[in-house]
Amino acid sequence: MSYAYLFKYIIIGDTGVGKSCLLLQFTDKRFQPVHDLTIGVEFGARMITIDGKQIKLQIWDTAGQESFRSITRSYYRGAAGALLVYDITRRDTFNHLTTWLEDARQHSNSNMVIMLIGNKSDLESRREVKKEEGEAFAREHGLIFMETSAKTAANVEEAFINTAKEIYEKIQEGVFDINNEANGIKIGPQHSPSNPALGGGGGAGGSQPGGGCC
Amino acid sequence: MNYLKNFLATQPGTQPTGAETIERLCDRVQSSTLLDDRRDAVRALKALSKKFRLEVGTQGMDILINVLETDRTDGEIVNYALDTMNNIMCNNPEDDDEEDVPQTNGEVRPEPEDLGGQFTEIFIKKLENVQLLLNFLEEYDFRVRWPTVKLMTTLLCNRCSQMQQIILNSPVGVSRLMDLISDAREVIRNDGLLLLIQLTKGNAAIQKIVAFENAFERLLEIIVEEGHSDGGIVVEDCLLLMMNLLKNNNSNQTLFKEGGLIQKLTPFFDITEASPTGGWSAQKVTNLHLMLKLVRTLVSPNNPTVSIAACQKVMNTCGLLEKLCMILMASGVPADILTETINTVSEVIRGNTANQEYFASVNAPSQPPRPAIVVLLMSMVNEKQPFVLRCAVLYCFQCFLFKNEVGQAQIVQTLLPTTADASAISAGQLLCAGLFSTDALSNWCASVALSHALKDNPTQKEQLLRVQLATSIGNPPVSLLQQCTNILSQGKYAPQGGKLQTRLGLLILLCSWLSDCSIAVTHFLHNATNVPFLTSQITDQAEEDEQLAQGLFALLLGICVHYNDNSIENFTKERLQQLIIKRIGLESFEDKLSFVTKSDHYSRAARSPQPRYDAPEKVLLDYEFVALFRQYEGVIMKAVRPKTKEEEQAEQKTIEDHAGIVTQYKELIREQVTHLQAEQKTIEDHAGIVTQYKELIREQDAELHSTKQELQEVKVKLSETEKQLQEQASMVQQLRDQYSLLKATKGQGSEWEWASGFFYQDISCRESPQVQPVEAGGGEEAVARLQGELGESKRLLESKTQQLMEKDKTIEQLKNDLTVAEAKAAVREASEAGDEGSAEDSTRPLQDRIQALTLEKEELRTQLSSQETEIQTFRTDNETLKAKLSAQTNGPSPEAVATETAAVQSKLSAAESQLACAEEENRRLKEQVQQLQVQNTQLQNAPVADGNADSAELEEKVQRLSEEKKRLEEEAETASKEQDDLLVLLADQDAKIKKYRDRLKELGEQVDDDDDDGDLEDDEDYEDEEDEEEEDEDKGDD
Repeated sequence: MSYAYLFKYIIIGDTGVGKSCLLLQFTDKRFQPVHDLTIGVEFGARMITIDGKQIKLQIWDTAGQESFRSITRSYYRGAAGALLVYDITRRDTFNHLTTWLEDARQHSNSNMVIMLIGNKSDLESRREVKKEEGEAFAREHGLIFMETSAKTAANVEEAFINTAKEIYEKIQEGVFDINNEANGIKIGPQHSPSNPALGGGGGAGGSQPGGGCC
Repeated sequence: MNYLKNFLATQPGTQPTGAETIERLCDRVQSSTLLDDRRDAVRALKALSKKFRLEVGTQGMDILINVLETDRTDGEIVNYALDTMNNIMCNNPEDDDEEDVPQTNGEVRPEPEDLGGQFTEIFIKKLENVQLLLNFLEEYDFRVRWPTVKLMTTLLCNRCSQMQQIILNSPVGVSRLMDLISDAREVIRNDGLLLLIQLTKGNAAIQKIVAFENAFERLLEIIVEEGHSDGGIVVEDCLLLMMNLLKNNNSNQTLFKEGGLIQKLTPFFDITEASPTGGWSAQKVTNLHLMLKLVRTLVSPNNPTVSIAACQKVMNTCGLLEKLCMILMASGVPADILTETINTVSEVIRGNTANQEYFASVNAPSQPPRPAIVVLLMSMVNEKQPFVLRCAVLYCFQCFLFKNEVGQAQIVQTLLPTTADASAISAGQLLCAGLFSTDALSNWCASVALSHALKDNPTQKEQLLRVQLATSIGNPPVSLLQQCTNILSQGKYAPQGGKLQTRLGLLILLCSWLSDCSIAVTHFLHNATNVPFLTSQITDQAEEDEQLAQGLFALLLGICVHYNDNSIENFTKERLQQLIIKRIGLESFEDKLSFVTKSDHYSRAARSPQPRYDAPEKVLLDYEFVALFRQYEGVIMKAVRPKTKEEEQAEQKTIEDHAGIVTQYKELIREQVTHLQAEQKTIEDHAGIVTQYKELIREQDAELHSTKQELQEVKVKLSETEKQLQEQASMVQQLRDQYSLLKATKGQGSEWEWASGFFYQDISCRESPQVQPVEAGGGEEAVARLQGELGESKRLLESKTQQLMEKDKTIEQLKNDLTVAEAKAAVREASEAGDEGSAEDSTRPLQDRIQALTLEKEELRTQLSSQETEIQTFRTDNETLKAKLSAQTNGPSPEAVATETAAVQSKLSAAESQLACAEEENRRLKEQVQQLQVQNTQLQNAPVADGNADSAELEEKVQRLSEEKKRLEEEAETASKEQDDLLVLLADQDAKIKKYRDRLKELGEQVDDDDDDGDLEDDEDYEDEEDEEEEDEDKGDD
């Protein structure tokens, strides 16, 4: 159970884009085709390994519906990473990204790592949003981009882990104030807070995807 | 206060009413330009705000809000304003502020109900007001932050859900409130806790956000800082807040577990060593109580099974269970803490094998060491122990045996005779003691505890039948089963069995024991008195509470019927059924059973596994038994009904019903069959359609075939036309042959003419010898002229033939191109049409072209023949000239004339050879025509062979070629014009020849006028040309 860091994530995006399914696939490695509407916010957690370090991901899966927007906004501030999800088979979910991004940027801390995710990549036949469009949007707004499928688990692991890597690198660079827990980052219990330069010796990269599940 | 005192002192005589003063103060707050004045006025208002809540509230609320907005930079005035607002809105003023309240007069004015609530409503109606307060929380100034926290708490207390919604709608609202418990100033932190307790009440969304903001970690930190359970009320507040966050909030529970925070709870229960002998403070008891409740919240049986199991596992591995068990066995623990600890341990081990095993291994630190279970059971059957504690032990026992076959076997084992150890106190001994104690609650608890040991475990039910009891010395031992019945049968008025609690307890045990165990039923029925006893109990008149027992008796009897294996002859299933009908009556039996389900005790017990009873006498039914009753009620109602006539009829009826259903099904099947048939039909229809289509396809195939045949025919026709062309060519050849033959004959004819000329000469010599010399002189001159003219005409002829040849060539080329283009166009058309019929279409233009070609060829041939005729004419002329010349050679200078004639003759022969060349050229032309025809046929084949030619390209080519064609046609026109010119020249020449001839005639020569006629006979076409020439000649003369 011990970990070097704990990162808090939030998953945001329109309703029905597969946020809960992404979380379920990541934490439980399973897919539920019929998922109840998320009420407010749901919580999930998993341990991963980056750069040989155990990192605990606490993930808050938010409700996409407009009526829950004020609730979900409360989670931006305390998150270190956000997965902004749209559905490649529904153009409107892509069109709403700007609103989501504005919302996130407005209420989050400036260092929050945002990953743009085009979900449902298994439904190629019904695709409405080209991969290039997603890439362009991500490039334009300085996000990391990836297309995933919560159904086939394609890129799901990578999406969560790459976001964690980005946060980890930011910590190494000293961008994040790790002693301020409001940033959504916490140092593990075995690491004393007086030693913030932990793991500085280890080079970046060299991650081990598919770390232990908790 | 000084200001107020001064203010009040100024009017010593007439004490102004509160309302007046407040009005004046409000006016001052509004009108004063100096901040100090405003501040003093607000301070005065604050002082009055507790006593004159209504007045200050009604008059000053808006003014105070205005102050908060305009004077926000001044901490002091904001402080006063906020305090004032808090005073008017708070329904329960705090004691420590009591000193501010003027206590001069003891008048108690009646205040409207929930005045604070009404003011709160007014205040929060404007969302900006709450936002204003949230913004004040950003202010670090203690004078601002603290009263804001207090006011917010008051607002939340008064209108909780409305405030919760307002705060939720502010994106950082909850976060700002959360920041309060991180404030270094304890007062703010503590009041922040109170605020958060109010904020998180019953609102899962806020609970989650608060948890997300690291509330658990922070609260645990505070608890540790404050010294765990030894901490003060702050620890209690922290625990209350944690309870709010965790209770019925699965997401937060998961977060708590995932965050590894269960482990952090373990030190909470490190109290055994540290506890002072002097006893526990009330606060410590409260704190510990809440800590235990916190643990229970995580493993509550109402939670999802998966999360319970996960938490239970962690609690065992992190040593929390161990700590709890230590408290269990520790001395000096207050009873309510002990009770709650027992309940907590119960839920931590419930249904978890590992934890149950651990619990079974726990020993009390007594001498000799006894298992914790035994120690607890001792308390349960000890009537001196508190009631709640005894219930807790029963709950613990129940949880220990829940889904725990090993534990059940261990307990039953202690009752069995083989292991009976007199020296050690066993669970079995204690249970038996409880069963046969004079204390009804002990009876009940022991019975129910024993029933838990048998639950869903047929093996133990059979094992327990072996238990024999020595009731008294001398009497034979009695089985436990019988002893239980005996106690029951002692009657209502017996010292032990008379108590309802005892009877119900024993009935619960017996029902659990006999259910799903035929051997136990047989054992029970073996005693012949048992059944009559049961029936008598059921039929007896009973008071209300006793009816509950009757229901259980009925259930027991029902179980005896249902699990009857008919091994006891007198009490077979059928006999018992008859008995019920005769003695009790089915309806009555049913009523007795249903009474149980209708009772309050039943529904109360069904609520939760934990026995929760208000008083000892209310303990009548238990959770597991209610579950069993629910399970068997329906089964037994069916089992006790024998198959009476009605029933048989009913059964018959049901059979009939079934038959009816069967017939219905049969009908359904029949319908489906017809449906299927219909479908079959439709399939057949489809097949018909398919055959139609097939026919259509066949027809199309036939059409295709016919078109192919047509194509073949067209090809044949084509080849025929080709043949015709060839024939025509051969005809041309023949014609040419004829022509050459004719020429040959002509040649003979000229020889003959030559001879005749001689003959004529002979005649002329004979007839007019005198003319000859005169004629000879002029003749020489004329011959030279004639020869020049002849040369000229020959040259003309030469150039004309050449031009003709060239023209023909161009015509040929043109034709060639045209054909190719047209063929290509045809190909394109064919490919465009793409069908069988197009072949026909494509061949038509070809045929047309062939016809056109043939026509052109014919024209050509006529031209050729005309040329030949012309040549013939020339030759004839030549011949005549020769004849004349030879005739003249007989004149005065025959030598010179002869040489001249020879030269003319050689020239003539040269012209003849040129003519032959022209003829050859003509032949070549014809060959070309033939080639063209071949190409034509090839092209005709092409559309069949190559259908996929690029149509666009072809179109372009066609365009180009047609243009070329046009150009060539123009050229041809010019060529024909040239030919016309030539013809004109020829005519001129002819005219000259005629003139020459006339002149010869004038000279007295008998010139061959007949020649013209002979020529006309040779070729009919010649006449036209001749006429034309004559016409031209006439013109030329003009």
